[in-house]
Amino acid sequence: MSHQRYPSHDAVKEPHSVSLKVLRLSRPSLVTQYPIPPPPPSLSPPSNDLSRTQSPLPASLAYTPSASAPSTNPDSFILSPILNLPPSFGSAYVGETFSCTLCANHDVPPPPDGPVGPRKTIRDVRIEAEMKTPTSATVTKLTLTSDAPSPTMDLEPGETLQKVVNFDLKEEGNHVLAVTVSYYEATDVSGRTRTFRKLYQFICRASIIVRHKPGLLPPKRIKRIKGGMGRRWVLEAQLENCSEDAMRLDRVVLDTEPGLTCTDCNYWETNKGGDKPVLHPGEVEQVCFVVEEREEEEVQVQEQEDGRIILGVLGIGWRGEMGNRGFLSTGKLGTRHGGKGGITG
Amino acid sequence: MDQSQNTGAKGHRRTRSAAKATRPRSSTKGPLDADDAPLTSPLSPQVQQRIMPSSSGMVPRVGSPAGVRTPGRSSPAPRSAAHSPAAAPRRSMQPASRHKDFSYLLRPEIYHPLTPLNVPPPFRNPSKPPLPETPIPDLIARGQFRAAAAAATLALTTTTDPADYARIFDLLYTRLACLTLIDGGLALAAQEVKALEDLNSDFYFDPETGAHLVPWDLRVLDVRLQMVGFGDARRAVMSYYDLAREARVHLANATASHDNSARELWKSRLAEIGIKVAGALVDMDDLPGAAAHLSSLKDRSTAANGSSSLNMAKALLWLHLGDVDAARQSLHDSAGEVTQKVVSALCDMADGDYPAALTKWGDLREETPEDEMVGVNMAVCLFYVGRMQEGKQILENMVDAGQSSHTLLFNLTTMYELCTERSRTLKLQLAEKVADMKETPSGWEKANADFKL
Repeated sequence: MSHQRYPSHDAVKEPHSVSLKVLRLSRPSLVTQYPIPPPPPSLSPPSNDLSRTQSPLPASLAYTPSASAPSTNPDSFILSPILNLPPSFGSAYVGETFSCTLCANHDVPPPPDGPVGPRKTIRDVRIEAEMKTPTSATVTKLTLTSDAPSPTMDLEPGETLQKVVNFDLKEEGNHVLAVTVSYYEATDVSGRTRTFRKLYQFICRASIIVRHKPGLLPPKRIKRIKGGMGRRWVLEAQLENCSEDAMRLDRVVLDTEPGLTCTDCNYWETNKGGDKPVLHPGEVEQVCFVVEEREEEEVQVQEQEDGRIILGVLGIGWRGEMGNRGFLSTGKLGTRHGGKGGITG
Repeated sequence: MDQSQNTGAKGHRRTRSAAKATRPRSSTKGPLDADDAPLTSPLSPQVQQRIMPSSSGMVPRVGSPAGVRTPGRSSPAPRSAAHSPAAAPRRSMQPASRHKDFSYLLRPEIYHPLTPLNVPPPFRNPSKPPLPETPIPDLIARGQFRAAAAAATLALTTTTDPADYARIFDLLYTRLACLTLIDGGLALAAQEVKALEDLNSDFYFDPETGAHLVPWDLRVLDVRLQMVGFGDARRAVMSYYDLAREARVHLANATASHDNSARELWKSRLAEIGIKVAGALVDMDDLPGAAAHLSSLKDRSTAANGSSSLNMAKALLWLHLGDVDAARQSLHDSAGEVTQKVVSALCDMADGDYPAALTKWGDLREETPEDEMVGVNMAVCLFYVGRMQEGKQILENMVDAGQSSHTLLFNLTTMYELCTERSRTLKLQLAEKVADMKETPSGWEKANADFKL
């Protein structure tokens, strides 16, 4: 995430007493470890180590579990339960929730060489954040949250006001997170309100590409009407993971238009307990739904002017590393294979 | 064949090829490989011969680390029978192992100098430098792995008898193991391990007993270092399978001879290799494969308090894969209360429900106040709900209490970066504090990356 400091709104050239730092809050990650047994205790006799108990060298573990809870670290496995904060911004993808923490700090300047300046008090620190998305002309104001029990907006030297923002990424392209910090800076003799603004730009990329292909199936007999036939279609779609991370498809559902109903033909949805597909970068999963006209409803399937029939909207939910959620829905998927007429009787 | 060629000269020929650092012979067998060449067998026929008397035709599969059988290898008896006419005369011609020449492992040019480049200043001028004559086990006990690795090399290249293979391999293991524990050492170890070449070659077997001369731990470490050196995790999986196959044979033998301590040893080694295969699959990003493999393992390691580390491993893998429901599920059948709570808190975090997780971490911290993982995870959780000040305080208290895992330091310096423009000063102060800590087997030296310097 690149950022730039906007020219400060006030004319004072003096450096700000409050600094702003941000970190994108992706999910924390499990720390990996490569346990190795300790070298033989004595290097002189040949080690026919039948009697030696194998407990890994503590330094090769991500952490040493305490004696009261020794089983929390599976000490020969590569993953350990201790968590690392996100090391970098990573990539932002459509469908994910962008989460970011904003920290306004009363930064104590290093001891000056010259005369000591007047002691400053920082009061009433406020953070505001907005997101500018690629297509919308206006910015979206973001809600700032914090669970701190007694959030004080007056910062002693070295203190921090921390907030968290969340934003659902829906568009590809350039996003700009704009953060404005304002505070009241008081010395013994005077006081003033100061403001600065920082912009953080990042690119949001597509995570899943959906290619769909509708097809016409032979019509189905309808019991309600003697000799009645209902139209049927098959909607196939290929979901390609075009992100750089593996994702595990959680839910793929077709939300059909009124008058239509659909049957899921995907093994992991129909056969409960089946393993959900994991897509590595570049991998494709094909899904399939059979869509048919509802028998019991009087609602007629709407046909567009150009003869197209809208079948529905495909919703795709997935989980990434450490459960990071993503969800997106396609536009309306339709077909030109209208078949003949509606339900005929 | 001329007998003299086949005896003493063998070691030297290997030496020359070692300098080229060629890729060791692959253990796979192609359709063009002659079946009667004993050297191409992945599990050297000597082992099979020694352990499989011609009468026993089946290898018992106990504590199977793998659900997959490699075609053609599952019953070694016919193979060993086929090899025995060819291999037996070879063995009788070889010199006894104590006369084998391992001088190719003692050449100084194999071993890299260790310059502490990426180490913060406080660790470069230690206030308590290890004396040059400190014994290696003491260095390891003090967490001075850089010094221990250097001492092992010094011993290898100066005072070791080329025929004393037990000492050579122990020193080599010490060298390589210590390298993996210091910053940047893993790549060096992956280079240096190439001097061993193919551990499955005839040369590494005792011609009389058929036993492998290289200690088990070094062979296991060799697999991982080869994987790093060649960037080939698939190969590591195969090599682990070879070791597992051998462990099964030893286990069957120990069972047959009612040797209980050997039986337990090989059982635990087999189980450990099973877990290592899962680790290698994670390394190659085949998480569903790793999950399938883990669920094929039998759970034999039940700790005293009734919880199992295999279930914990499964739960962590599911979490890593993003399958929170499966992670929750996998802990249902294990009894360890603390473990269950840990996984449950991690699942809440994976679901993005940080406040719920925080409550659980808080409870756990009261129950096990000295556990480093619980403290670090609670601090991380506090950070996600906007209470960094408290999280930072927890981490700082833990450092003051003498804890210093890489994760703890990394998270604390990340918080330092967020709470001031001048985090460098804080990071350097932290580095000094950690350098002043007592030396423990958990490792003393830390790298720049640990402090984000």
